[in-house]
Amino acid sequence: MNPLPDGLHAVVKRECPTCTLIEPVLRQLAARSSPVTVYSQDDPAFPASVKGVVDDRELEVSFRLGVQIVPTLIRMEKGRETGRAFGWNRAEWEALAGAQGLGPGLPGNRPGCGSRTEEPGMSFRLAARFGETGLASRAIRVPADADPIEVCFERGWTDGLPVVPPTKERVLAMLSGTTRAPGEVIGIVPPDRVECTVEKAAINAVMAGCRPEYMPVVLAAIDAALEPGFGLHGVLCTTNAVAPVIMVNGPIAKRIGMNSKGNCFGQGNRANAAIGRALQLVVRNVGGGRPGEIDRACFGNPGKYTFCFAEDEDDAVWESYAIEKGFAKGASTVTVFPGDGVEPIIDQNSRTPEALADSYAPCLRTIYHPGQVVDVAAFLIIAPEHARVFYGAGWSKQRVKDELNKRLQVPVRELKPGFGTDERLEKLKRENPDATVPKFRTGSLNIVRAGGTGLFAAIVSGIGSITINPVTKEIKA
Amino acid sequence: MHDLRGLEDLGVVSVGVCSTDFIEAAAAQNRSLGYDPAVVFVPHPIQDRTDEEMRVLADQAFDAILRALQAPG
Amino acid sequence: MSQELELLDPTAELSPVVRPRIARPASLEGKTFGLLDIAKKRGDVLLDRIEERLRERGHAVRRFRKERFSIVAPPELKQDIRERCDIVIEALAD
Repeated sequence: MNPLPDGLHAVVKRECPTCTLIEPVLRQLAARSSPVTVYSQDDPAFPASVKGVVDDRELEVSFRLGVQIVPTLIRMEKGRETGRAFGWNRAEWEALAGAQGLGPGLPGNRPGCGSRTEEPGMSFRLAARFGETGLASRAIRVPADADPIEVCFERGWTDGLPVVPPTKERVLAMLSGTTRAPGEVIGIVPPDRVECTVEKAAINAVMAGCRPEYMPVVLAAIDAALEPGFGLHGVLCTTNAVAPVIMVNGPIAKRIGMNSKGNCFGQGNRANAAIGRALQLVVRNVGGGRPGEIDRACFGNPGKYTFCFAEDEDDAVWESYAIEKGFAKGASTVTVFPGDGVEPIIDQNSRTPEALADSYAPCLRTIYHPGQVVDVAAFLIIAPEHARVFYGAGWSKQRVKDELNKRLQVPVRELKPGFGTDERLEKLKRENPDATVPKFRTGSLNIVRAGGTGLFAAIVSGIGSITINPVTKEIKA
Repeated sequence: MHDLRGLEDLGVVSVGVCSTDFIEAAAAQNRSLGYDPAVVFVPHPIQDRTDEEMRVLADQAFDAILRALQAPG
Repeated sequence: MSQELELLDPTAELSPVVRPRIARPASLEGKTFGLLDIAKKRGDVLLDRIEERLRERGHAVRRFRKERFSIVAPPELKQDIRERCDIVIEALAD
């Protein structure tokens, strides 16, 4: 659009009482030798007493002029804007117009109304249509007779469930949830080893069903999953069942409405569901990690659609996982770890911490194989009613880990056959079958709190190895 | 596939041996890597084979491996 | 706002140009072979047999091993192979 010609320009809408109030003023200004140009946002027949009203129902002029209030009066001189008034104020309007006696009989001052460009979601629609979006992604045209949701399926962009079609305006709205620039590179995504930009993350977050305020969490989760220590390539291409699981700590969890309580691993919470799904879609669409291709999982698990929850930090008896890992109190973090699924432990009778540890240990022992001590890790999630038993006896989280470790010493004679490359264990088995080795190497058994009512705990098992580990990142912007 | 491309980028003539379960995975990787390395496939599964069976597989693949490393003719 | 709908591409937009393999030698005579074990189960047995067959044909053979099959071979390993071998056989992806 070219700059407005010199002279006066007024943006109005019929729906605004101030605009209808000042119709006589517009008529006065339109009758001058250099008449005002009036742009109507909702009805080109308004104001009826002014000739040549410009139809701006598409809001292009309003958008380009950055109009926030109607009426707005703008003066242009030599191709430049030299003055602007919002609402009705006789003195201001007279100064801008260089005229006297505008709107005789009208009050001297009357505030305006919101411009139609300020309606919910409108700014993104207009930016997508008329603005310099700064977006770099290829645009895929949807034929007029096609359903955009079906187009997403056909292009192979989905996890098998419908996705939200990633229109430019939705992507711009998503990007408003972060201060990071669309072109910023978050990291290199395996298996194709291509850069993931904030923009690509936003597109996939739209498809996953995210709201803009989830973006900082989504970006931090991608960031964490792309850390070499997490071993995403291995997590993807393994025949094991693991998926990247996302756990959120800190105040952001509540701010965006995540679930850390009843059914925290289940359905029904938008933030939990969409954030986990966004990471999976990034892996699929940006990284090229698709089942049947690089993803060689024998079974997989339903968490490969989405697996995301928040730790319950409502009681401060135990430190949260993030604080254990050295993050500041009040920091929000995201942790990714490989997880197979949820294995509940039901113990509704134990009243002492020792008895609970005795219940947990044999359940943890069976992960993958009772005789497997290599490449195994777990998050033990303790629900509040079990946690209270430990609190009552004064057991710290570390004490629980120590007691479990004591109970999880696996006799070498019971190790499962065929350790592949672990010669140390094979040698030990030959030379000292009575020795024991810990089920979990140091740090590969973690404890967090979540869940609702009931005397339960749960295990989320997963691979843990030299190359595959949980990674935690602070959530910034 | 990454390794084979990386090694050939360094000038080392390379061939990979994969089980037939990897045919699709290899094709997908190659599409995205923009490279089509030499691969000889041996019948899946592998991990439950006896040593003798593995030697037979090696012998069966041996000529194809050498062919993949030499200029034709 | 009656316009044709456009979606933004969520993929990496890879439009790869398939490069040809590097040139193969006319003869393998006198070449030194590197056998790269990606550390998957049973791969070593297969490579042992390939080594036997290569040695029967008079080739020098050097063995290499990745720490884990799930990682890309580190640059040092690839450079080591390049310094010490003409040809590499990698096995066994399963």
